[in-house]
Amino acid sequence: MTGLHKRVTVGFLSIVCLLFFSGMVSFLELSHLSRDTGDILEANRRNISLAKEMLDAAHEQNVALIHYSVFGDRSYDSLCRASLLRLENTLSIAQQEAVDKSFLDSLAFATTELRLLTDSYLAFGGVEPHVEPDSVAVDRSETAGSRWYNDEYEALYVRLTAAIKNYMTSTQSSLAPRAEQMKKNAYRAVTPVLTSLVVMIAIVLMLYYFMSIYCVHPIVRMNKGLGDFLTFRIPFAVKGELKDEVLELKEKIDTLIALSKQTQF
Amino acid sequence: MRLDVVLRYVGIVMLFIAAFLLLSAGISYFNNMDSAFYPLLLSALLTTLLGIFPLIFVERQEQLTTKEGFCIVVGAWLLACVVGTFPYLIWGGEFSLINAWFESVSGFTTTGATILNDIESLPRGLLFWRMSTTWIGGIGVVMFVLVILPSMGRNKLTLTNLELSSLARDNYRYRTQTIVRILLGVYVGLTAASMLLLKLAGMNWFDALSHAMSVCATSGFSTKNASIAYFNSPAIDWVLIFAMAAAGLHFGLIFATVTGRRNNLFRSEVARWYFGMLFLCGFLIAVSLFAADRYPAFSVAFREGLFQFVSLVTTVGFATADTNQWTSFAIVLLLFGSLVCACAGSTSGGLKINRLILSLKMIRARLSQQQHPNAIIRIRLDGAIQDREALHSVPVFIVTYLLLILIGTVFGTMLDVDLMTSFSASIASIGNVGPGFGAVGSMDNFSALPAAFKLSNSLLMLFGRLEIFGLIQLFFIKWWR
Repeated sequence: MTGLHKRVTVGFLSIVCLLFFSGMVSFLELSHLSRDTGDILEANRRNISLAKEMLDAAHEQNVALIHYSVFGDRSYDSLCRASLLRLENTLSIAQQEAVDKSFLDSLAFATTELRLLTDSYLAFGGVEPHVEPDSVAVDRSETAGSRWYNDEYEALYVRLTAAIKNYMTSTQSSLAPRAEQMKKNAYRAVTPVLTSLVVMIAIVLMLYYFMSIYCVHPIVRMNKGLGDFLTFRIPFAVKGELKDEVLELKEKIDTLIALSKQTQF
Repeated sequence: MRLDVVLRYVGIVMLFIAAFLLLSAGISYFNNMDSAFYPLLLSALLTTLLGIFPLIFVERQEQLTTKEGFCIVVGAWLLACVVGTFPYLIWGGEFSLINAWFESVSGFTTTGATILNDIESLPRGLLFWRMSTTWIGGIGVVMFVLVILPSMGRNKLTLTNLELSSLARDNYRYRTQTIVRILLGVYVGLTAASMLLLKLAGMNWFDALSHAMSVCATSGFSTKNASIAYFNSPAIDWVLIFAMAAAGLHFGLIFATVTGRRNNLFRSEVARWYFGMLFLCGFLIAVSLFAADRYPAFSVAFREGLFQFVSLVTTVGFATADTNQWTSFAIVLLLFGSLVCACAGSTSGGLKINRLILSLKMIRARLSQQQHPNAIIRIRLDGAIQDREALHSVPVFIVTYLLLILIGTVFGTMLDVDLMTSFSASIASIGNVGPGFGAVGSMDNFSALPAAFKLSNSLLMLFGRLEIFGLIQLFFIKWWR
């Protein structure tokens, strides 16, 4: 590769390298951004799904317990236990997956309270442990069941659902730092390109300047000089710093002019 | 003027900066590839490309004109500040475009003012880059080129004339090439000695290196939010007092003293004035603080007062106390120190004590001239008779310096910045001191100031670093013959 060719090739390769590296860094940061976005969306979806599962289980258990205690339908015993088990299993999964387990403390406490109360109620067949059944058990147990539900169970149920909702909102707010990190990654994905763009503009301007002073201007001057020589037979000299092939061209033109002079005489 | 030749030498400076960026990226890599790794690596690549591009096209030149030398110095400094923003901008955090520019200019001009509220949250690689900017700036970007490129021949003198203050140049009695070697030798030696002493005083290696780089560049960048107050160690305070005082001396004097030459520290008139001022003002501040019950013991008041005064005079700007809480007398003395600053021939900024001495001698000569109109009165500094040109330049420089402070202050107040903050920030910026008073006190930073004021202060820093007229000439380059 000759001088001028080499310089231009290296110049353009520099620009290509610049674009490549800035592109790579942006690509890396965009990959981080994409991964973080995916993680946040997945965490969000999972959190909503677990909270919904817990709310469903709690609601199902509540309905079953109403049938059992208020209406005296003992067939709801198994559904009541199954719902409670479902709630506990979901809570256990949430605890395993949670990054910050403190959000689940109040929920776990409310579930345990509900479990103890429900177990003790179901263990005595729907009759409160301290109440003695008598001959008019049906009417009285219905009344006692309603009263137990209203006085003891409902408050715990409300507390449990509030804890589930709190878990849902708390974990959503815990995603904020990750969203902040995502914002940083987005910034870092953009700035390399912008910075590279500025540097590239500077390099292109330099390339334009160097090509002008080393190639374009001398060739324009030589062209004009050659035109004058051919028209008026005036020998000319190209001033300025010439390099590589342009210098060779100038020297060859000088030789040609010298030869032309010799032929004339 | 050959712009291509200027671009070539500016390009070489860019390659040196790229080497430091790469070193910072290396530190980042070994620090568990922290978040600054990619920003530093990309910045190193961008700077390398910027630097290498002119080298592809322009060949080495044996001779440079004064105008070309000037353009290389100013161009290299400005472009260094621009590429210095790259890692900050790409990394993000507190660095907006204006903040990154301010931090970069502050580093390369060795001012040491910062816009960072939480320095300790920066990754190590970026912290090292921050210190590198100040260290590179300390010796002068172009000085590197002069030392490392032995092929430049007579070009050296052209560049050095612009790089060194004219007063500093007078004190060197060696060839230019030797001057550059002395500067670099003293600079590196002082950095190494400071680092070792700081390590022995209780800092870890990274902090010791960072603070040694900062102190020798007379910058004041620290790795801690509370600056030196974080370490709460009298031993570190004393090591830094001596290191700062040494960094504020003429490097040629340090060299002459270490090598046992005749024109050494003990024979220097400027050094006597310098140490006299440091001790006297430090003592007066201590008395003022002790009398006002700011400190329980006089020894503590003396250490704190001396530290803060030496820190501002040498334009380092480290802090061990919140000087906003000090007495008005102490604040006035500290402002005086920030104006006068240390000796010519050091990396410190400001008016320089040499100009203060010459001004006082000129006043005395003027009084004598009035009493004896026919007398021929010569003004000497360090035994050397000062020519008319040197004497004439002193009041011109001082007036321009004060005028720029006034413009900076007025501009700040226009932007609704309070008078004390505006005034002290302008003094701190043009003198490359760093901290001022008010909202930019020793325990505060420039983050809360308006963006336009940050820009005006970064311009003042450049004016101060390039000895005012160095930068002003750039605007009149077309008329320079």
